[in-house]
Amino acid sequence: MKNLTLLIFLLGCTPLFAQTDSVNTSQEEEDFSIYENATPADGKNITFCNPKIFDLSPARFVSIAWDHQLPYEMNLSSQGDYAKGTSINNYNESAKVNSTGGLRLFANIPVISSNKFLWQLGGNFWRTNYSFADVKGPINDTSLIQNISKNGLTTFGLNSTVFKPLNEKQFLLAQFAADLSGNYALDNPQGLRFLRYSASLLWGKRPNDRKQWAVGLTRTYRTGELNYVPILLFNWTAPSRTWGTEILFPARAHVRKNFNARSLLLGGYELDGQSYRIGGISTASNRELELRRGELRFRMEYQRQISGFIWGSIQAGYRYNFSYRADYTEKDGTDFFRGFVGKQQYAMINELSGALYFNVGIHLVSP
Amino acid sequence: MTTKLCSLLVLIMLFLGFTSNDEGDRLIGVWQPSSGKAKVKIEKIGTKYYGKIVWLKEPNDPNTQKPKVDKNNPDESMRNVPLKGYRMLKDFVYGGKDQWNEGTIYDPENGSTYSCEINMKDKSTLEIRGYIGVKALGRTDVWKRLEIKAN
Repeated sequence: MKNLTLLIFLLGCTPLFAQTDSVNTSQEEEDFSIYENATPADGKNITFCNPKIFDLSPARFVSIAWDHQLPYEMNLSSQGDYAKGTSINNYNESAKVNSTGGLRLFANIPVISSNKFLWQLGGNFWRTNYSFADVKGPINDTSLIQNISKNGLTTFGLNSTVFKPLNEKQFLLAQFAADLSGNYALDNPQGLRFLRYSASLLWGKRPNDRKQWAVGLTRTYRTGELNYVPILLFNWTAPSRTWGTEILFPARAHVRKNFNARSLLLGGYELDGQSYRIGGISTASNRELELRRGELRFRMEYQRQISGFIWGSIQAGYRYNFSYRADYTEKDGTDFFRGFVGKQQYAMINELSGALYFNVGIHLVSP
Repeated sequence: MTTKLCSLLVLIMLFLGFTSNDEGDRLIGVWQPSSGKAKVKIEKIGTKYYGKIVWLKEPNDPNTQKPKVDKNNPDESMRNVPLKGYRMLKDFVYGGKDQWNEGTIYDPENGSTYSCEINMKDKSTLEIRGYIGVKALGRTDVWKRLEIKAN
């Protein structure tokens, strides 16, 4: 009986002792050809296209970055009514900007994430501080230089992204964002009536694992002012898997060089802009002043894995400013659309010289 | 008396083990991720479940025309291991209620290993969720059971 008990005990424990915790490959010989004809047990077509293609720079769940522009010149007109195309000979204020920069936080968390539907919600916080020298011009309550030197600029935003595969090759992509940008302090944010909304809708195809394209329309503030423009997405990876493109024209376009699965280099440009309500300095009665910042950033960005899902990035390039103009908008927060052909007048015509800049960040990347 | 007690305990342990294993063994079979790029055979080793790649839509590396290997593995010694036969699901334990957990999933595309939970929605459908740290930071894929047709 004792022997029988021992035998049963040993047989019972055999699977425990035979277990291997970390086996990477199958040790036994197997005829893999039998799986060639394996088909869905319930007969249903199961394939949906994936939101990614091979070797794209990793999507980010959480990102913490510092953005810093090196010295440049700032020239600002007085407030008034300026027709489109007006050039200013004598600026009202001018200064050398020693530096511009601040913290950029970003989070994008999947709410629903399956192969049939992907919905992500995110938030961002951007802080921009200005350090001035050699300020020339009137020092008073309506000075934009004085104001942004003291208050800086802040953006709080929420965004939502939906990816809906229609079948194995086609997909819809929708994005929506609401940003509150201005010279407000964190403990005294401006009213939600000054929220500025952006949205994009694209339809596209993913013919294979190395190519994805889409066309659509966007409502955007990337040029500073409200605009509606067509957009083109084109993500592509060469057969060698060492080169590719990451393009969402006109917002950004990059050529990508993949060194391996853990490091890559991007080279190209990005449009970077916001519309900031500058409270407290408007000289027009019952009108708000809104600063339209639009920049074109030519840059190189190196990204690499630091550890596990933590990646780091360093970006350097040249910032060309094409808009630092200002408009008068309604007190109730209503904005207007000028577009490329609108004839509405500007409230300020300002000019910023170009600047070198860099951005360093650390990111938690997505599976 | 002691011997009888020992025998009884062993039998109870075996009974409990076998009943829970039977339920967990529903995971065993051949499955296909939603991308359609691979087929994965889930089998049991000891008391845990493992899934190995048994079929690839694109079996050869387009650059070398040789069978794909695990070239993105962070462990350099593993980079010549063929992907076919590679165990990408590891160490899953049946936790009851149609759920297998405590395991990991490996993505050969980027050489990353994620925490993973498997839920069986019906006998032919799995929801595989890979995540980082907390389940909210993850992505779910739906896998379908495959039948091997006799030639």
